[in-house]
Amino acid sequence: MSTALAIARRELGSYFRTPAGWVIVSLFLLLTGFVFAFSVMVPGSPASLRAFFATAGWLLLPVAPAITMRLLADEMRSGTIEALLTAPVGSASLVMGKFLGAAGFLAAMIAPTGVYVLVLSKFSSSPLDAGPILSGYLCLVLMGVLFLSVGTLASSLTQNSTLAFMVALFAILGVLLVPSAVPLAPDWARPVLNALSVGPRVTDFAKGVIDSGNIVALAAASIWMLVMATLVMESRRWR
Amino acid sequence: MVIVDSVHKSFGSVAAVRGVSFELQPGQIAGLLGPNGAGKTTTIRMIAGFLMPDAGRVTIGGHDTAEAPAAARTRLGYLPEGNPLYPEMRVTEYLDFRGRLFGIPRDLRKRAVAWCLERCWLASMSGRRIATLSKGYKQRVGLAAALLHNPKVLVLDEPTNGLDPSQLHETRNLIRELASDRTMLVSTHILPEVERVCHRAIIIAGGRVLADGTPAELTRRSAATYVMQARDSRVGDHERVAKALMNLPHVDRAVDRRPEGPAPSLGWTEWVVTARPGAPDLREQISMTATQLGLTVRELRADLPTLERVFMEVLDRAAGTPSEPDPSPRPTEAAA
Repeated sequence: MSTALAIARRELGSYFRTPAGWVIVSLFLLLTGFVFAFSVMVPGSPASLRAFFATAGWLLLPVAPAITMRLLADEMRSGTIEALLTAPVGSASLVMGKFLGAAGFLAAMIAPTGVYVLVLSKFSSSPLDAGPILSGYLCLVLMGVLFLSVGTLASSLTQNSTLAFMVALFAILGVLLVPSAVPLAPDWARPVLNALSVGPRVTDFAKGVIDSGNIVALAAASIWMLVMATLVMESRRWR
Repeated sequence: MVIVDSVHKSFGSVAAVRGVSFELQPGQIAGLLGPNGAGKTTTIRMIAGFLMPDAGRVTIGGHDTAEAPAAARTRLGYLPEGNPLYPEMRVTEYLDFRGRLFGIPRDLRKRAVAWCLERCWLASMSGRRIATLSKGYKQRVGLAAALLHNPKVLVLDEPTNGLDPSQLHETRNLIRELASDRTMLVSTHILPEVERVCHRAIIIAGGRVLADGTPAELTRRSAATYVMQARDSRVGDHERVAKALMNLPHVDRAVDRRPEGPAPSLGWTEWVVTARPGAPDLREQISMTATQLGLTVRELRADLPTLERVFMEVLDRAAGTPSEPDPSPRPTEAAA
């Protein structure tokens, strides 16, 4: 575990040692800031952060693959993977460390949006309803974690980080589009597709409903992606 | 300390390593030599645990790299080919990160980083970003990272590749110094390096070990050649000279040829004497014979066997072609 944390620490630091990390955070905060200023802080409208959460959720679609595209692909391209995997670092620790570094960056990107909650509560005439805000953040984090884990798997498959970005982006889009395939699917496949659908689970969170089933499903999907990435990395030693 | 036991590795249909075996004793510096594509890097990657062999096994300090990978890797320091580093990190940060990977506790890690900076002459560069360092300094950072956990075995893949002569000299000295209390395997295709630094040379090509021994043992397998340029007062009777040279002990072959070059060489003949492998230096005997025969000698040079020549001969033998340099004579024309 300590090696995973060492890798996570280095990874998190590397986002902020290069302009890329700062650019991603700035763009995310700029766009969500616009939405907050012009769609949330509207005089007379109910004090709700729904528009912010919806925008942030959509922004995760390109941002998560951008965060993860270099994770393993770049290590393989530059050869630093060789120095990592010849230290006493298992494939699971490597993938976990990389993922935790990316998750830390996501947290650092989302954390400043707490200011929106403070500003809204200061200017709102009635006290804020904490439920939808908590469920909104929980949904954002769970979706982010799922997207990052898909991105980590994509990054383990190739040395080309642009390709890793595209694979992750289309995989996430595919996951989000599963519900629209349900009506077209044969009867026997519908329950499976329904269970795999992320969309309805997100809608539940948006309504302020925190269902433990949804949390477990999203977390399990993320863990499964990371297990697959670990298997891909381990298989590279035996190729 | 390191046992490589008939390891095989294929990539698809390409067999990169086909049954390589050798054993390194404590304190030994071995050079792994071979042309590009010989299987050096694949062999080294299997020793370092980056690749697992398809068959055979590698043990480091008694620990199998497949069965006890963590134990094997903690005993080994490795500098991969091309010395990959994180350019955005500072030297100390990178070394600290490597220390964390090896699970070195904080206070010990601090001391280890300071020791490595000192040992690899990097102290003045400790705060610099790796991207801003020269190639020679980057190489030292790679070596420092390989040394950080004080491993008993150091494996360096092409450590002097792309360095300028002064960096080469520094790195060579550093390697020699580091080897004082370690087992070391250095892969290179710069053969004079091996003669200068290594106790042992392992020549591999086509994924197989073709020769293995100390540089002296290996060079003894090859024959020295001597070239004498002289004028013979008895015009046209080169046979007697060749015969006299052939009668010297340890001589395998003596032939004459016309010296290369334009007019100034007219009237001069070159005798090429090939000694038997392992023979002592024959220059004195050749010179004495020339005096006895009344030759006027203007040049006598020895082409003593080098590791480079042995290397070429071994590769040529494996490929089934004659070796270079070719000491065979050209038709002799009558000396004027």
